[in-house]
Amino acid sequence: MNKDQEGEKIVRTTVWSPGAGCHGGCGVKLHVKNGRLVKVEGDENHPWNQGRLCPRVLALTQYVYHPDRLLYPMKRAGERGEGKWTRISWDEAFDTIEKKLKEIRDQFGAESVLFCQGTGRDIGGPISFLAYAYGSPNWVQLGLAGQSCYTPRLAAMFATQGDYAVLDAGQFYEKRYDAPEWTPPKCIIVWANNPVPTCPDAFHGHWVVECMKRGAKVITVDTRTTWMASRSEIHLQIRPGTDGALALAMAHVIINEKLYDKEFVENWTFGFDELKERVQEYTPERVSAITWAPKEKIINAARLYAKSKPASIHWGLPVDQCPEGTTVAQAIAHLWCLTGNLDIPGGEVIARPAFGVTTYPFSSHELTALYGEEFVKKLTGKRIGAKVYPMVANFRGWAQPDMAVDQILTGDPYPIKAAWIQTTNILGGQAADTRKHYEALKKLDFNVVVDTFHNPTSMAVADIVLPAATFPEKESFRSWWAPLSVVVPAIKVGECKSDWEINLELARRFNPGAIRYKSVKELINDRLKPAGVTFDELAAEGSWMMPPEGHSSKPYRRYEKGLLRADGKPGFNTPTGKVEFWSKKYEEWDLDPLPYYDEPPESEVRTPELLKEYPLVMATGRRSSVYFHSEHRMIPWMREIDPDPIVEINTKTAADLGIGDGEWVYVENRRGRIKRKAKVTPTIHPKVVMVPHGWWYPETDGREPNLFGIWDINCNQLIPTGTQSRSGFGGGAYKTTLCRVRKLEKER
Amino acid sequence: MRCYGMIIDIDKCTGCYNCFLACRDEHYGNDFPPIALAQPFQGHFWMQMNERERGIYPKVKVSFIPKPCMHCDDPPCAQASLSGAVYKRPDGIVIIDPEKSRGQKEILSSCPHRVIFWNEEKNIPQKCTLCAHLLDQGWGEPRCVEVCPTGALLFGDLNDPKSQISRIWNSKQVEVLHPEFELKPRVKYMGLPKRFIAGTVIFKDKDECAKEVKVTLTGRGKKQTLRTNNFGDFEFEGLEEGKEFTVKIEHSGYTPQSIKVQTKQDVYLGEILLKRSSKR
Repeated sequence: MNKDQEGEKIVRTTVWSPGAGCHGGCGVKLHVKNGRLVKVEGDENHPWNQGRLCPRVLALTQYVYHPDRLLYPMKRAGERGEGKWTRISWDEAFDTIEKKLKEIRDQFGAESVLFCQGTGRDIGGPISFLAYAYGSPNWVQLGLAGQSCYTPRLAAMFATQGDYAVLDAGQFYEKRYDAPEWTPPKCIIVWANNPVPTCPDAFHGHWVVECMKRGAKVITVDTRTTWMASRSEIHLQIRPGTDGALALAMAHVIINEKLYDKEFVENWTFGFDELKERVQEYTPERVSAITWAPKEKIINAARLYAKSKPASIHWGLPVDQCPEGTTVAQAIAHLWCLTGNLDIPGGEVIARPAFGVTTYPFSSHELTALYGEEFVKKLTGKRIGAKVYPMVANFRGWAQPDMAVDQILTGDPYPIKAAWIQTTNILGGQAADTRKHYEALKKLDFNVVVDTFHNPTSMAVADIVLPAATFPEKESFRSWWAPLSVVVPAIKVGECKSDWEINLELARRFNPGAIRYKSVKELINDRLKPAGVTFDELAAEGSWMMPPEGHSSKPYRRYEKGLLRADGKPGFNTPTGKVEFWSKKYEEWDLDPLPYYDEPPESEVRTPELLKEYPLVMATGRRSSVYFHSEHRMIPWMREIDPDPIVEINTKTAADLGIGDGEWVYVENRRGRIKRKAKVTPTIHPKVVMVPHGWWYPETDGREPNLFGIWDINCNQLIPTGTQSRSGFGGGAYKTTLCRVRKLEKER
Repeated sequence: MRCYGMIIDIDKCTGCYNCFLACRDEHYGNDFPPIALAQPFQGHFWMQMNERERGIYPKVKVSFIPKPCMHCDDPPCAQASLSGAVYKRPDGIVIIDPEKSRGQKEILSSCPHRVIFWNEEKNIPQKCTLCAHLLDQGWGEPRCVEVCPTGALLFGDLNDPKSQISRIWNSKQVEVLHPEFELKPRVKYMGLPKRFIAGTVIFKDKDECAKEVKVTLTGRGKKQTLRTNNFGDFEFEGLEEGKEFTVKIEHSGYTPQSIKVQTKQDVYLGEILLKRSSKR
């Protein structure tokens, strides 16, 4: 913290939602004048973003001081959906919630309450903490079919490598691109992601651009021609959902042409011969027919990637949303292991939470370390989906979302009575089959929504609404992945409290014996202990700190140094101590130990009859630079840039359908229809339409039946639940359902 | 005396909108007399972002073209203004005087780049000032340049022979947006999208991509030759718009093909089948 000449205070802090909305990590300088945030700048000394920012943070004051922000707790005054609210005190809010949820716990058991969150924000830590303090195992991204967001990729990496890995852009080093230990990847596969506007999974999109400036050649796998795709050596414009086949064909080329890293495969992997046998059926010819990508391009992409060393893959969420997402992720992860790119500079670097500090538990191991083995085991027994899916039982703490919504409706095997909904707009955001989730949430006895704005979910189902603080208003900490950083409070807005503050208070009330922290800072300092640092010390140091050489959260080649396994032996943290092409864990979890390809539930191959009626693949979820999922539609300067819910449709396809640019159309299938504005563009594949998700109109009536317009424009109404992978994770059909598009005026 | 210039490198622009946002943030709600009054809350784009998509599936290119005021040396807006309401500062920045320009709506249509906006409430025309109020306080660059995450916006003093911008200002790769306007802009570009002619050559007899095939482009008094890549693809980029070219494809043992092409738009010729030549 320092002051400039005008008495303006500058607070250095770390971005982690709310406000920016995203997965966070950027260092910023908050300019505060008379207690008010006036400007945000990127912190040029922060290694994550080196001064860079995005439009959402540049317009942060519009978010923080928006007239519609929730500023104090409220309780419902009329019926659900009537939009009538009464202001209440925090004491009343906490007392009511404590009383209601304790009654439910006494009568039905703690498992009858779902603790629902959205994407990877600063929520996984506080909400799992609250759920476990209350005693419920049902921590869930309710509505996210197949829990298809990063968890499938994490599970595949955990099972086959014992650790997680990410594209290495020097992000574990203070000096970044100038760090002598680091070298840029010579080739990057940007697999199913548009990194610059996205910044996904604790990855800053500009890192890829910085690698490109340093010579990295790019291969892009994307059904759209993005900026990145049009600057790539090779663009594989594949059919959505066929990424697994593509990965297996690339492995076919790499293995059969002997382009793999013989030394690494020989010494550090298990099951190569079985993998070799498996990939034989995935010839480039066959996979070309599956994926629509020309055979030569598949072969050349495999060669370019395998012959470049180091080379790296940066992947995105469509991998999880492929059918059998966990096996697709496994197939792609095998590529970097075959080529010996794991944990080397400029390859795929093993990513562990900095200093071993846990914020957002990424695995059951982290949960166990926090809450004790016996307790976690006891809860897991009742976790939704754990009996059906061994992966759900054994990897990470999530309940299975498709089963969770069904269980609300059926009460089988036990009733669900309440939902704690925090940082997630289920009905305007991630929920597939929106109507089903609407009906399910309406059925519950008690719902609490914690958010920054009213949204379709809070309006439709909340009984109590609590106002969440944005990142400039809160104390928090972050170890996803490095550096270790803290979120430093600079301002106060209304009566808003941070998610940690709210959850700590309730956790203490639910479990006074176990929760000993008196303040959030005390909790943070306890969690920071592995790093030997306190919140205040980190805040004074500009808010961040990198792990030192020799620590297991610092690269490279930790498998040679014995830094990955609990027993201190060289090798990987897997049953065999090696990277497992044949996964012992998958085998143990009743899954095929080797990767394979499966068709989407609706497709030209699986449902050719349906294709006649609905000839286009509906992919959803492409990112906008100015929005994060269902957020920011009410931020004037963001909305001005991206004003309408569009559907991207290829120039030729649109011409065939008589649709002009800017015309309103229906996008429809058997499950329903939505209105969208056609964006006619050559960038999308002619057989695919891209429908951006998360749309609602905050400027319209929030009450029933309108609910900010979701029934008109929310594309998730066209997407089913229940398409999860055999593992329970992955397979949400957000990119693969079939649809048709027609002009609105033809409707009577 | 300083002499400011800006070069926008299209190859580095990812279309993130930070430049637009920083400009809005700087100028909304803040008066900087005598340089500019506050920008309205919405509707003005002193730094515009234009998305350009070229070609047809599967040959498509995407570019973003940020466009501020060009700060021309011969500014038509100055000529159109009355009583010296628009003037050029000695450092090259074109300023619309917020007092003198009141009511002069005709200034808007004088600009062929369409970068001047009307402020209804204040009754004045407004545009990019290159953040002259900051430069005058000693800043080295306007806000848009400061926030550009990829370094696509290069700004500096053209009179300083050591500045990065002055070293490349007159080089070949630096170009002008709409040179036909002949306005001598102080904002120049690199990598502006032009027209391309591309195609994919297939050996018809083998039904496979024709690698290493000689492709010659003639037109506009020039001749360029290249070879197809591993996918049988060829591409001539940076061509003039609205001109006629001839693409000739030759390979030993195959009948040569010659195709006449107009660059009214970007051209993807699709798959071009090369037939075996009959030896009789």
